Amino acid sequence: MNRLVIENLNAGYGSVAVLHDVCMEVRESEFVALLGTNGNGKSTLLNTILGFVRPQGGRILLDWDGQTIDLARLQPHEIVNAGVALVPEGRRLVPNLTVEENLILAGSCPRAKDQISRNLDFCYTTFPLLKERRAQQASTMSGGQQQLLAIARALMTSPRIMLIDEPSVGLAPIVVGQVFEAVRELQTTQKLTILMAEQSFFQAVDLASRAYVLSHGHIIRAIDRAVEQIDPEDLRAAMMGLEHS
Amino acid sequence: MFADQFINAIGTGVMLGSIYAALALGLAVTFGLLHIPNIAHPAFVIAGAYVVAMGNSYGLDPLLVALLALAPFYVAGLGFYEFYARVFERRGSADTMNALTLFFGVSLVLETLLLMRFGTNQQSVSVGYVGQSLTIGLLSLPYRLLVPALLAPVMVAALWLYLRHTHTGIAVRAVAHDERALSVSGIDPRWIKRHAFGIAAATAVVAGAALIIIGPVDPFGGRLQIGRAFAVVVLAGMGSIPGTIAAGILIGVSEALVSAFASPSWAPAVAFSILLATLALRPQGLFGARR
Ligand SMILES: Nc1ncnc2c1ncn2[C@@H]1O[C@H](COP(=O)(O)OP(=O)(O)O)[C@@H](O)[C@H]1O
Ligand SMILES: [Mg+2]
Repeated sequence: MNRLVIENLNAGYGSVAVLHDVCMEVRESEFVALLGTNGNGKSTLLNTILGFVRPQGGRILLDWDGQTIDLARLQPHEIVNAGVALVPEGRRLVPNLTVEENLILAGSCPRAKDQISRNLDFCYTTFPLLKERRAQQASTMSGGQQQLLAIARALMTSPRIMLIDEPSVGLAPIVVGQVFEAVRELQTTQKLTILMAEQSFFQAVDLASRAYVLSHGHIIRAIDRAVEQIDPEDLRAAMMGLEHS
Repeated sequence: MFADQFINAIGTGVMLGSIYAALALGLAVTFGLLHIPNIAHPAFVIAGAYVVAMGNSYGLDPLLVALLALAPFYVAGLGFYEFYARVFERRGSADTMNALTLFFGVSLVLETLLLMRFGTNQQSVSVGYVGQSLTIGLLSLPYRLLVPALLAPVMVAALWLYLRHTHTGIAVRAVAHDERALSVSGIDPRWIKRHAFGIAAATAVVAGAALIIIGPVDPFGGRLQIGRAFAVVVLAGMGSIPGTIAAGILIGVSEALVSAFASPSWAPAVAFSILLATLALRPQGLFGARR
């Protein structure tokens, strides 16, 4: 089965431990929600998967097409080229490049460069707004547009798995709705595999087939819709730390 | 008489200015685009001039030697960046002061190597067209300035097209803004910076050819150029490649006019006076993006 597996992951910054014994898994075509309020380690987890934060223990394995790749040994750009894309917190577009240049930059990575024109067409069909604004500087777009561009940029790398870090941050509620709608659309029509960190919780849970709740760097809930019903209230209580786990 | 002097000062200034742009181009890449203050670039240019002189001593045309030396200089630039990155960036201590110290040291080493190998004697090239001039009305353009002056527009155009229209070029323009954005795009930021350093070093041998066609060069000839090269890059606007030509010419013409109508001894102050005046009005330089 194609999947990303995280086993007993410990990670942090220098002597500050943030993630403790995190175990989770994301299977092909799944939408997994990673829930937790501010400061509980969601970004640290995604950044560790992408190689920006070095694991201090445990394993991060990409099991795909009969191959197992140990991501912990790779550098960030190599991890992207192994098929794990990140839509980072704060989007991290290149501000002085145009929309199209941002897309082409990602599309020219070794993994995707043979499909670059097909990927670009796909992004422009999926997000017509980006096509209209292709010559505009990324920094001059609104927050919501930038978020869509960051998602499109991740698509340009032909990902097997897309990690999305709090796409709702800093966006007006109506725009958050549009961004989630775009993600949902991608997930349902393209069967894209997604791991999304969120605290804007109900929308995320609606989409998810599975959910994990991260609290102080520990996974305190792991819920699989295929096995049990997701009780949003229970999840929300866990996430808010309203009860002990 | 005055018109004659004026026109020729302008002509000389434009040619010199274009050559300043060629000298500064590599710095426009390393400092303007990558924000790494490579003050060793003029020393690279001098090394390039020496290589051109050596090739010329076997009867090769200076421009041909420069063309042949592009690839070796590119490779030397890769190595140079790798050295810099190992010394500093890995340790996360790549602050400007450390970098300046390192590059200053590299300049001294290069100068010393040239001095040991070639002595203090000046090196020069012999080409047929040196000594002749193109005359258009009152204007007289010596080929020893005109030929080098034509190199800058060619290099600038090539580099500009490269940065605009190739995938790696886009990555070079992006890397100083956000390395992580490059990683997320599946591109190795370090590879891109190394490549950019290689390109900068390759421009140095062409600039070296320009310099030595103008006149003899000694191991310390780079020192004179450091301040002016930085002035060109900052005046152009950090990261603006075409701007280097305009900035170079603005400085070159002003210097020529000051030399012709005031005193040549004032000329060295011209670059910085223009730089300061411009920055007071346009902090982003002539063509730089506002930040
Ligand atoms: N670069 C960093 N250096 C040191 N500590 C950090 C850094 N980034 C995050 N942290 C700490 O790690 C913890 C988890 O933060 P983060 O992963 O950003 O959480 P979340 O994304 O869930 O809001 C917080 O206590 C935060 O202060
Ligand atoms: Mg976060």
